[in-house]
Parts: sequence; C-alpha cells; structure tokens
Amino acid sequence: MSNSNAAELDAIGLEILTNALKSINDESFVALMKASYSTNIKERHDHSTAIMNADGDLIAQADMSLPIHVASMSGLMRCVIEKYGDDIHAGDLFVANDPHTAGGTHLPDVNFAAPVFVDGSLVGFVCNIAHHADIGGMAAGSMSGGMTEIFQEGLRIPVTRIGTKDEINQEILDIFLLNARAPTERRGDYYAQIAAAKLGVRRMQELGARYGAKTMRAGFRQLLDRSAARIADALKQVPDGTYNFRDMMDDDGVETFDIVFEVTIVAKGGKLSFDFAGSSPQVPGNVNMTLNATQAAVIYAIKALLDPEAPNTQAVIDCAPITAPEATVCNAVFPAPVAGRAHTCQRVIDVVMGALAPALPDRVPAAPNGANTMAVFSGVDPRNGEAYVYLETIGGGAGGRPTKPGKDGVQTGITNTSNLPVEAIEMEYPLMVLEYGLVPNSGGAGKHPGGRGIRRVVKPVDHACTFNGVGERFRHAPWGLQGGEDGGKGRFGFIGANGAETPLPGKTGDRLVPDGSMALVESPGAGGWGKAE
Amino acid sequence: MSWTIGVDVGGTFTDFHARDGASGREVVFKRPSTPADPGEAILSGLAEMAEAHDVPLAEAARIAHGTTVATNALIQRKGASIAAVATKGFRDLLEIGRQVRPHMYDLNLDKPEPLAGEAMRFEVAERLDWRGEAVLPLTDAEAARAAREIVDSGADAVAICFLFAYRNPAHEQQLADAIRKIAPAMRISLSSDVQPEFREYERFQTTAINAYLQPLMAGYVERLATGLDDAVKGAALGVNQSSGGLMSAQRTASFPVRTALSGPAAGAVGAAHIALRAGRPNVVTLDMGGTSADVALIEDGRTEIAFQRDVAGFPIRLAMVDIDTVGAGGGSIAWFDRDGLLKVGPISAGAVPGPACYGQGGTEPTVTDANLVLGRLSPTGLLDGAMPLDPVVAETSLKPVAEKVGVSLQEAALGVLAIAVANMTRSVRRMSVERGRDPREFVLMAFGGAGALHAREVAAELGMGEVLVPPSPGIVCAEGLLVSDQKEDFVASLRLPLHADQMSVAADTVTSLAGRAAEWFDAENLPGATRTMELALDLRYVGQNFELIVPVASAPSLSGADMPDIKALANAFFTAHDRAYGFHDPGAAIEIVNFRMTARGRLYDAEDMPEPGKAQPMPEPTGHRPVWFDGKASMETPIYRRETLAPGMTFTGPAIIDQLDATTPVHPGDTVDVRPDGSMLIALKGA
Repeated sequence: MSNSNAAELDAIGLEILTNALKSINDESFVALMKASYSTNIKERHDHSTAIMNADGDLIAQADMSLPIHVASMSGLMRCVIEKYGDDIHAGDLFVANDPHTAGGTHLPDVNFAAPVFVDGSLVGFVCNIAHHADIGGMAAGSMSGGMTEIFQEGLRIPVTRIGTKDEINQEILDIFLLNARAPTERRGDYYAQIAAAKLGVRRMQELGARYGAKTMRAGFRQLLDRSAARIADALKQVPDGTYNFRDMMDDDGVETFDIVFEVTIVAKGGKLSFDFAGSSPQVPGNVNMTLNATQAAVIYAIKALLDPEAPNTQAVIDCAPITAPEATVCNAVFPAPVAGRAHTCQRVIDVVMGALAPALPDRVPAAPNGANTMAVFSGVDPRNGEAYVYLETIGGGAGGRPTKPGKDGVQTGITNTSNLPVEAIEMEYPLMVLEYGLVPNSGGAGKHPGGRGIRRVVKPVDHACTFNGVGERFRHAPWGLQGGEDGGKGRFGFIGANGAETPLPGKTGDRLVPDGSMALVESPGAGGWGKAE
Repeated sequence: MSWTIGVDVGGTFTDFHARDGASGREVVFKRPSTPADPGEAILSGLAEMAEAHDVPLAEAARIAHGTTVATNALIQRKGASIAAVATKGFRDLLEIGRQVRPHMYDLNLDKPEPLAGEAMRFEVAERLDWRGEAVLPLTDAEAARAAREIVDSGADAVAICFLFAYRNPAHEQQLADAIRKIAPAMRISLSSDVQPEFREYERFQTTAINAYLQPLMAGYVERLATGLDDAVKGAALGVNQSSGGLMSAQRTASFPVRTALSGPAAGAVGAAHIALRAGRPNVVTLDMGGTSADVALIEDGRTEIAFQRDVAGFPIRLAMVDIDTVGAGGGSIAWFDRDGLLKVGPISAGAVPGPACYGQGGTEPTVTDANLVLGRLSPTGLLDGAMPLDPVVAETSLKPVAEKVGVSLQEAALGVLAIAVANMTRSVRRMSVERGRDPREFVLMAFGGAGALHAREVAAELGMGEVLVPPSPGIVCAEGLLVSDQKEDFVASLRLPLHADQMSVAADTVTSLAGRAAEWFDAENLPGATRTMELALDLRYVGQNFELIVPVASAPSLSGADMPDIKALANAFFTAHDRAYGFHDPGAAIEIVNFRMTARGRLYDAEDMPEPGKAQPMPEPTGHRPVWFDGKASMETPIYRRETLAPGMTFTGPAIIDQLDATTPVHPGDTVDVRPDGSMLIALKGA
C-alpha cells in the first residue's frame, strides 16, 4: 500500500505505481495522437511516449510505443544529461533528432523531453517521439533511397533546450519549420508533441503530490531492480555457448551489394553478449544503423524469444552488452545516411534469431520476410488535376515455428503498421488494384511451412504514374530452419498489356509505369521450419 | 396485454424484469442459466416467475431479450461452415486482414484463423469501380458457374463481399439469386445488406461473421419463438442489438452479427434510464461481474455509440454501444508476475471452480476472497445464503500473498482490491479523460454483482464526488431491455464534398434513407406517435482516413429538406473535431463519407418520475459485523437490508447494505441519500 511516509513500496504499492505511470503514458500518447495534424501520427500511430527517472533511465512506456522509438528516447536522455547535467530546471523542454550526436536513429523521428520536479527536486523526465512526414533534405518525405550522407536526409537537430520556464523559444521552432515541407502540418505536429510533454509533466506532478519525491525516486529504482532481475532470469534460458550467424542484405540502393551482417553471441553463466564484428563497413546508401538502433533490434529479438511480456525499461535495454566495430553497418558514424534503417533492423533481428536457433531450438522460428517492403505511387490525379503520393508498407510471410506454421501476409519484427483498404486507395488515387492476395508457393516448405508473401497488382487509371519500390530479400531468400526450406523472395516488376513481365530491381528509384502496364509488387514469403514429412 | 418482460441471459444467471404498464407493478426474478440451450432457462424462468410472483403471462405483450448466443458461438468457434466469396483477385482478403499481428513481441500469438479456410474461399469474375459502375460485368454464365462451385463445397451458409458493393449491390444480388436457384434454402449474407460501408476487409469480416452465426441463431430464435408461443401466447419477441434497441426475431435470424454485444448494450441502456430517473443524467457506468468490468459513458441520458470493436479477436464494424471492457471481476485471480509485482486478473476463476471461498475446489485468491476476508461480503453468502462462502478458505488462499509481500492478511486483501481498482480506474480514464471528458463532472454508477463493492474506491481515485447504486444492481440489463426501443439503422455510403453544388445529391440521399425508414416503421406496425428518425453524417477532412459521426437532425419524420445548410454542418463538424482531437482547421475542405439514419419506435411509455420521499428514520440494522475499511483496524459496522431502505432516508457510513445479488459497503464518513426511485446516492466524504 502506498504509505506516503515510507520510501520503499511493496509488491502491491509498486503495481499501483506502475499502473499510474502507464495511465500517464497512455494519456500522453492519446493526447499527442489527437492533437497532431499528420496521418502518420493520427492513424498509423508512428509515435511513442515514455517516462524516465532523474538519471534518464527508462522506467515505463505507453503500451503502443514502438521498439525503435524507445531506443531514441533513451538515447536522447543520455545526451541531455551529458550536456546539461545540473543545469536542468522546471519548465525546461529539450528536443533533438540527430543520430550521430543526439541519440536518434533517423532524422524524421523528433524527440522531446521535459524534466519533472517534485518537492523542488528532479525526479525524472517525460519523453515523446513522433515520426514527422518530412524533416527537409533532398527528397520529399526525407526517407527516399539514393541519399549518401546525412545532410541530404534533412535538418539535423542537436540536443537543444527549446523551452525554458514553460515558454517555447519560437525562434528555434521557426528554424525547424523553415526547413521542412508542409510547415503547417509540421507546426501542428510539433505543438502536439509539446502539449503531450506538458500534460505528462502535469500528471507526474500530481503523482508526486501523492507519493512525494523520495518515494517516487525509490519506487523507480525498485522497478528497475525488479525489471533487471526479471530479464536476467529470462537470459538464463540460453544455454552456455558461442553462437554465430551470418546473413546479408541485398543492397543499399546506391552501389553496394550483399551487405554482410554477422553476430557472435556468447552465453555464459546466464549472461549474454552480442558482437557484430564481421559485418560490412558502413555503406554509401541509407541502410546504415547507429548502435542504439542495433540495440533496439537485438532487444526486440531477446524479448520475443525469452520474455515477450516483460515491460520495456532501461534494465531490459541494457540487459546485455552489444558491440560492433565503428563505421560498420551496425555502428555507423558521421556522415553515414541512416533514413532507411527499418530494413536493417529486420536483418539484425534475423541474424540474432538465426544465431540463437541452435540454443533455443523449440522457440526460434525460421526467417520472416525480413523487409519493410515499400511501394510508392505518384502522379497527377486526372480527376481533379492535383498531385498525389500514395505510400504503403506491405507485410509478408512470418517464419514457420517449432509449434505451428508461420502466418501469411503479416507485418513482422519491428514494424506492425496496417494496410490501406483497396476501396480507400481507389477512391483517393487514380489507381485500380487488380490483385491483392498471397503469393502462391512463397512459404518455405517444411513440417511447419513459412507464411506467404503478399502480391499486389496496381494499374494507373488514365494518367502517367511513377512507381518507386524499396524492397529487401529480393536476392537472399528468407532462410528455413531445422530442415525447412527457404521462403520465396520478393520482386517488383511491370506487367505489360500483353501479360509480359519486366523485372525491376529491389530498390527501383522513380520509374514511370509504361503506358498500358501495371505495377507488380510481391513481398517475400518466409522460411519453413522442420523437414517436410 | 399490459405486461412487458425483459429477459437477459448471462453466463451464470438469467435475469427477468417484468412490468405491468397499467398498474406500474414491477417484478424482478433470477434463475441459473442453462448454457447448453439458453432458451430453456427463459421458458422455465417465465413459468417460475409467474408462479412465484403472480405474473399473468397471458397479459404479456412483449418479451425483450438480451442474448449471448452469438458472442459465445464466436468465442468458442461453434458456428457454421461458410463459403466466403470475393471479387476475382481478392480471395485472401479475410486471411490478410489489415496485415497486423495482435502482439508486437509474442511470436506465438496469432490473430484468429479465418472463418473460411482456404478451400472455402471463392472468387468471381466481376468488378465495380469506385463509383459503383461495372468495369467487368458479372455474366449469367459466371454467376451460374460460381454458384455451382459454392453449393458443391458443402457450405452451410455463404458470405458474399464484392469490392464497392456498398455503392451498387447488383452483382452480389445476382450471385445470391444464382445460388438460390440451385439451393433455395441456403442462408446467404451479402455485404451490401449486412454493412454497406467502404473498407472491404471490415465489411467482408462482418459479413462472414454474420453468415457464420446465421444457421445457429436462426435455429435458436425459431425454437425460442415456438416455445414462447406456447408459454406466452401473442407476445412479440424482440432481441436486443449491440447498438441498444430491439429487432424482431426474423431480423435476428437474418442479422445475428448485430447481437454480438446484446447483453452489455442492454446494461448501458438500463443504466441511462436509471440515471435519468435518479436525477443524474451524466454517469460513467461500472458494470462489474465475475470475470470482467464494463465501463460506458452516458451523457444527458444517452449512451455513446462506437462503430468498430473486436469480438473474439475479429473486428466487427457495426454500430455498438461504446463500452470498454477490463479483466477485473469478482473471480479475477491475484498472482505474482515474473518481476514479483502483484497482478489481479485478467485470469479469472470463472464460475467453476469460482473463487476459493465458493468451496468448489478453487485455491487461488480472487477479488471475492479479498472482499470476504475484509468482512465486506457477508459470510452467510451470496443470494441470501443460497450460495454460502467460506471465510476460512478465503484466508488460506490469501495467506501466500500476505507472506510474500510481508503484510497482514487484511493489508494483502486491501492490496488485491486496490490493484483491481487501479485497473478499473484506467478504464474509466480511457472512456472519459482520453475522450475529452472530465470524470469529475460525472457520477459513477455501479452495478452488476460486484460493481457496488468497488465503485467508491474507483470514484475516489478519479476525484468523482458521487456514486449511484441502482435499486436492483444485479438486473440492470433486464431493466434496459424493458425500456428499449424497436430500432433499425440505415446507412448510405456515399462520398461527397461538403459543397453547395452537392447538396441536392445529399438531400436526395436523405430522402431515400427516410423512405426506407418509413417502410420499416410500417412493416413493424409502429404507430406514428412512437416514431423518431435520427440523421447523422460521417464527416472528415479531405485526405483523412477516419471519420467523425456528427448528429444532424432528429424528428418523427425527416426528408432531404431537413438537411442543415453547409455552414451549420461545418460548424457541427468543427465542434466534434475539437472534442475528439483538440482542434479544427476552419479552412480545410470537408467531405461526407456516410449518411446514417436511425429509425426508433418507442415501445415503452415512460413512467412518471417518482415522488420525492419524505425524510424518515432509518430501520434497525439486521446485525453488525467487523469490516476492514483500511489495514489498521476493523470497525464494528451495522448491516442493513436494502429492501428496508425507503426514499427519503439518509445515513452516514460505516454501513453494509445487503441485498439479494449485490452488496454495498458505505465507507466511514460517506453519506447516503435514498433517492425517490430507490437508488442510493453516495456522497464521498470530503468530496
């Protein structure tokens, strides 16, 4: 029971504190979603909220927070504390996005953090992060392939104090807005983040009034300790040994093919360590990752295999040392471009899972589609003369599992965004979807077959339409496991009026759909598990 | 023919609430449910109630029924073998869904298997464009071919969903005709009938669920109607819909998917009725039973409506009373998570074995065990002792919790309750704070078997000043059925810019919907004076993918002439956008996506508001027992029977109010006002 005089909380009091923190995170999450302007936040929920302690350690996050965002928020906190130390005051607001100097993972994800003071002392921070539909740079959306240094990817924001005494520095915000396309939408999204941070601070102070700073701080510490014990316990499920695995990404969309990802996992006495030595040097294209994005992918795999219900905390994030040589794809340094790191996260998850397969044969599934398959259609709508851009990320197969087959046509790994209904696509854009179904035979055969990829055939209606596809596992198939066969690869192409197919590369760049042709998108399937009987 | 009877079938009990419109006499009755055939408990219960309470069944004009038949069939996957029929190129829609998985981290948790397996999914060569015009007409030969293939599959029922059929049902109807030609008795659900709105997956899924439930539900209502015909000759049967409001037995057989939330919806309607009679039109309901608690928000006596909800893991896109369900009930089990924190629920001991103190073999500590240990529940047991409770077993079950946490037994029990309360508090916050409402402006209404035991703590957490406990908290659903309207929803899915030159199309659409509503009123024999038409529009900014439902007009009869002008519509949309999202953009273009017409026929003549009671002294308590309100010490607390409390009485806690199916602890210092309608209004100390 929460006794305001005692510093320590028991198992009941901690659960009630946890519940209150969840409520604050969820309310801030919803407030950000409601107040934002962009579809990406409002509908796709590409945002997260979290609460940190005074040391910047993650204590609790909103239920719907994304794994990669949690890495960024915790990265920002480290940088804020390093830069400002004791110079942090009530009413401050900090912002950042830069992957190379401020803990971010790519520029469109803009991070805010506000300190919470109770009884005159710092007890923690509330943080939120949102993916902005544009952060400036060379190409609309700031995510396009073909960029070769971070400067082309948009505005870099170092750790910056954007607010003091509850007042926002409008001049700094104006710099942000001047450097992004669609500034009205951006302003709305920034204000939504600022409002969510203020709401979080207010709710935390209300909580502080009930518990007092001392109990709150102690409670946070206890939650971290228990979380650390829980995840340490989970890690013990991995038998001692050294586990190594290698896989490849197809290409970086610029000039590099067959990018190697290699991990060596050492399990000893219940502890794990991850080393990505052997992975390729960082590449000119934007599929590089900073080390904390690599960490997010590793933690995803650990949790999925060992304790899916473990609440995300700093103790979970830091549960195992993760190393990678500097200036490699898993630990990229300035000025590496990183915008397309979502594909890369998927491959890191694949190699971690692959490495642990011999250690946890009854848990690890075969490789999933391992991509974040993206298709973009753009042009001018002949119905109203307005330019349109239609972007979609497409699920694929999930790997066959030790207990059952893999799911067909589903998002896997670090992404879980939904599709747009065909009827919505055709109402809004001058496009007709002729097929939307599963790719036959794309699930790797096995005792428990892999899931199938998704096939879409799209025809432009009465206009010149540009197609841009970003795919992975077009060259390296999702692997089978324990005797299961590999799943089908992805592919892009144009289908001519006569039915003839013209294949396209996995990172197409902008291509005009030939007159009378249709665009074909097939996401990869997934590997099968166990030998087919 | 002056009696009306509401019957709500729950998992454990079947509840009856009967009222004589002529004399105003009301009877409530409860009996165990018969899950194998829920109709059995209804028929025997009617006879038992007639016998025990002298209800003349021959005088019953109407039976209003809340059912869980559809929900249970969906949860237990006991529906029909269905064929799912799609436009060529789209046979896998039901499998892919929205391509998302239910849990980010759990690699083994899947969305439910599609109701139609791969061999039962069929394609038909036909295609409509976004305007509903045939790009590829459905030929008679193709329809005949597909019909043969579908019938030969051996399906018990068929779900047909073609792209853009909500704009033009012709192809779906053409195929249905072709199927009926060779299989006249086949049950067929068309997406253009079940849910004629855009978004093909949700429409297909809703249609498939309807087909899946059709054979079962048709059989159930037919058997029930036959049984009622013998027992209650001449009474009309109405079945409650998830949106609140009754439909005929025949429509229930055609549209069973509409009953997926039949029972909870009745609870919300009953709560709204009681709230008005108690003089508190703004309430948040806390309907807590054995396994879960339902929370709904009622403003100005009206329940909120939502248009999508997951049932048994499937999205159903239909109008439903907006209810948040949280796994906190009397049977919720207290357990330690892997990090050592104490959790309560969502795992439940259910009805069997039930909480440890039921003595039916349960050993794990539950919320009910905690209430018993604290003296809040009577050791004589539930249902006036018909279901005895064993305090010793309850203590034994809680002892490991107390030992592990290192506190006294009572503190452990209070902790279990506090955690259940924290879970319910989050639910109330979701339904209020996160939707732009301040819970402090609402009264918390507690019902269900366990609501009144915990409402006080939930209200205190949220700064709510008052708790309302209805006269019969255990049968609010049955009461809701009694006062429900006959109701039908019509929708036209038509995307139109909110622009002056489109308003004649809009007016024509409204006139056509009103025409369909008028036909329905006639077909249901609802007299003119009972009729209401309610028009609402789904509006959004151009480019948005979500809509807001904006009520537009309400009158006994509507037509296109009742459409407000563009400015008024835009202002109504701005207000709704402000509330939902905290802002609006006065310059951005708005569009209409759906036109919704609700037709209501009032079946229930509102009673007169009860006369205020005169102040009068409290009765003698029936006894005293020690009750723990905090962990420090128990208080010797007077026990009252609810039946002995009369309007006009006021008293101050501590007290325990016992009645047949509910217990209300009144905390020290809280004051109770027995309202004219018999409700207890509890004002929290210091609020």
